[in-house]
Amino acid sequence: MKLCKAVLPALILSLSLSACGGPGNRVTALGSSSMDGVMGILAEQYGLDHPDVVVSVEGGGSSAGVEAAITGDAHIGLSSRRLKGAERERGLVETIVALDGIAIIVSEDNPVDNLTAQQLADVYTGAVTNWAQVGGADVPIAPVGREAGSGTRDGFEQATGTQGRCVLTQELISTGAVVEAVRGNTAGGAVGYASLSAVEGQEGIKLVTIDGAACTEETVLDGSYPVQRPFVLVTRQEGLTEPARSFFAWAVSPQAAELIRRAGAVPTAQEGREEYEP
Amino acid sequence: MSHEKMLNRKRVEGGIKALFFLCGLTAVGAVLFISVYLVFAGVPAIQELGLVRFVLGDTWNPQQEQYGILPFLLTSMAGTGGAVLLGVPVGVLTALFLAKTARPGWAKAIRAAVALLAGIPSVVYGLVGMVVLVPAVQRAFSLPSGANLLSAVLVLSVMILPSIVRVAETALRAVPREYEEASLALGATPAETMFRVSLPAARSGVATAAALGVGRALGEAMAIIMVSGNVANLPAGPFTAVRFLTTAIASEMNYAPMGSLWRRALFSIGLVLFLFIMLVNAALHGVIRGAGEE
Amino acid sequence: MEAVLRTQALSLWYGSVQALKGVSLDVLENRVTALIGPSGCGKSTFLKTLDRMTQLIPGVRVEGEIVYRGRSIFDPAVDVTTLRRQVGMVFQKPNPFPMSIYDNVAYGPRTHGIRRHGELDAIVEKSLRQAAIWDEVKDRLKRSALSLSGGQQQRICIARALAVEPDVLLMDEATSALDPISTSKIEELIAQLRERYTIVIVTHNMQQAVRVSDQCAFFLQGELVEAGDTQGVFSAPKDPRTQNYITGRFG
Repeated sequence: MKLCKAVLPALILSLSLSACGGPGNRVTALGSSSMDGVMGILAEQYGLDHPDVVVSVEGGGSSAGVEAAITGDAHIGLSSRRLKGAERERGLVETIVALDGIAIIVSEDNPVDNLTAQQLADVYTGAVTNWAQVGGADVPIAPVGREAGSGTRDGFEQATGTQGRCVLTQELISTGAVVEAVRGNTAGGAVGYASLSAVEGQEGIKLVTIDGAACTEETVLDGSYPVQRPFVLVTRQEGLTEPARSFFAWAVSPQAAELIRRAGAVPTAQEGREEYEP
Repeated sequence: MSHEKMLNRKRVEGGIKALFFLCGLTAVGAVLFISVYLVFAGVPAIQELGLVRFVLGDTWNPQQEQYGILPFLLTSMAGTGGAVLLGVPVGVLTALFLAKTARPGWAKAIRAAVALLAGIPSVVYGLVGMVVLVPAVQRAFSLPSGANLLSAVLVLSVMILPSIVRVAETALRAVPREYEEASLALGATPAETMFRVSLPAARSGVATAAALGVGRALGEAMAIIMVSGNVANLPAGPFTAVRFLTTAIASEMNYAPMGSLWRRALFSIGLVLFLFIMLVNAALHGVIRGAGEE
Repeated sequence: MEAVLRTQALSLWYGSVQALKGVSLDVLENRVTALIGPSGCGKSTFLKTLDRMTQLIPGVRVEGEIVYRGRSIFDPAVDVTTLRRQVGMVFQKPNPFPMSIYDNVAYGPRTHGIRRHGELDAIVEKSLRQAAIWDEVKDRLKRSALSLSGGQQQRICIARALAVEPDVLLMDEATSALDPISTSKIEELIAQLRERYTIVIVTHNMQQAVRVSDQCAFFLQGELVEAGDTQGVFSAPKDPRTQNYITGRFG
């Protein structure tokens, strides 16, 4: 009995310590769940290359990510939107590690293949209500979007200039739900937006081109595909702890580019190019 | 028995009573804690915005600093009301069937089905609702989208059925057989007896069943977030995409930055929801007591 | 004398147990017929078959005939709700509905289609008078029937049964759950009612049978042992079993 009393706490303590990889070798990143795919791959690879360091990635949304960087709750804040003026004034540095193309999806039976940027904005603000008005069939348009505060929604509205003017038939709280809603609309009249990586290979839906540009790496990088948002690593100006700084440096370097690509985003770091000019 | 043993037994007895009391205190403590916390967390935003502007404001748009929750309030009322209007009659009739006229084989099957319904998690209701009900509603009424108040009401009424059926059936079974015999002996048919004697005699139990249904419907979030459209509109009709008090909190809690008015307003919604449920419960309690006293 | 109800060779089984064995009995119009006998002898079962209430119990089987005013009550063409209106029943334990006195008495008429308030008022008053309880409750008709004493409740039940204007009134040990004063009030009532109704009572109280009834039928183990004029049965019983029961040798 007495032995148990001593051994048990020691066991628990050592187990928890080993999971940490030691208190000094932990890097925390928190924020936009849209960046889960990219951050997940980066964290995994970094963990393999540096077995004594653990990189943990948590969700919570872009705003929570910025907040965490400010308070120090995380080493790196993850945001799928640019920093706002007020946030920049609080001593934060924003580094765009990748770009995320926001794909526009419709039912695969929809004859419309392309929309101009203006038409897209009109569809979402309710200025256009029927597919016939943009060259399609006589079917009412049902715009589907994300909830207020979602990084994807913010990115979409920024890119299309529709902040605060979107009229939606559904505000869903996950990308999966958006895809399902577009797929499941029995009149085939729904349109939705979602991260490119999330919609690739999905059945029942198709992507439309915007201003003639399909959503690809090249068009996102050179800006010809207008509906895109930045994946931002938010850090404090005072600098990071050593393990966090190394991870950060590696993540924005060309060495990580291929991994980012694999995760479905567009890396900004290309061979030879050091910084991406937004 | 030795004096010592007797003392020991008394101590154990006292100990057990204290344990029961502590358990009871835990329940009271939890409610008190939640109430106090909600008041502290929810009052600041209401103070800042003004009670009238908050509760009666008809636009919720945090990006544009608008925090009116009237759409959510009206939607919760309409949605719960609709669910109860559909669910209570169906539930009570099912309970009557089970308690009074069902053949044993059918009764067993129906009771098993009701029990299964009770066990399905909210999220699964939401999933099935999104994949099956929403397209069906869209097709049936030729709408641009099937995610609206009607779909939410349909999902909610199915969710509250089990509670209603179980409690109502128990109440109906408890009606003394003598009343029913007297009614039949006067020349009433079994159906007349059910509706004019058994049901009124069981009204306090049936009211309790309805109250349970209301409680569950008011508190639901996950099941309806994917079928109701989740847009902060006033519930202008059954085909409007709407958002409830519960789903309003669930949709945005992740995104509102700490310390912002937005986040505090969400807590205020929580406070309003809490008060609303307390009010409804108190009112129903009064109705039940009144029904019981007659 | 008219036989309002004629039973011929009536047998009844609860599942495999035979509760009535070939009972043949005539119930005469405007007379009080008492069914007596020890516990379990079948008298209540017999009574409850007269308005087909035993058939509510699952597993019951009946053979034989019961003819009411020339028509078999088991005839499929007979509407059982009409039969039960014509042959009313008052139960052993007073069972007024948990409603007001007025609603209790008006229940029957309302069920049979009478809706107009004026008509119902008249029927309620008439029935409560016939049950000799009008004066006691006329100022509190809207109060719950359950607020009355046992004896009063039973008279409400009688009023309720009378409100549908039956032909025959069956009373199944209607006073055994009541105190002596209420019992005597109801016995008085029975004496008054027989002028307008045919009454059949079941009682385990032999003195009551003597006080109240004109005709008497003695049941034993499902059989009808003896029936006839009450005076005759009690003063000069033909069957030794009757003699033994009456003199209290068994009960």
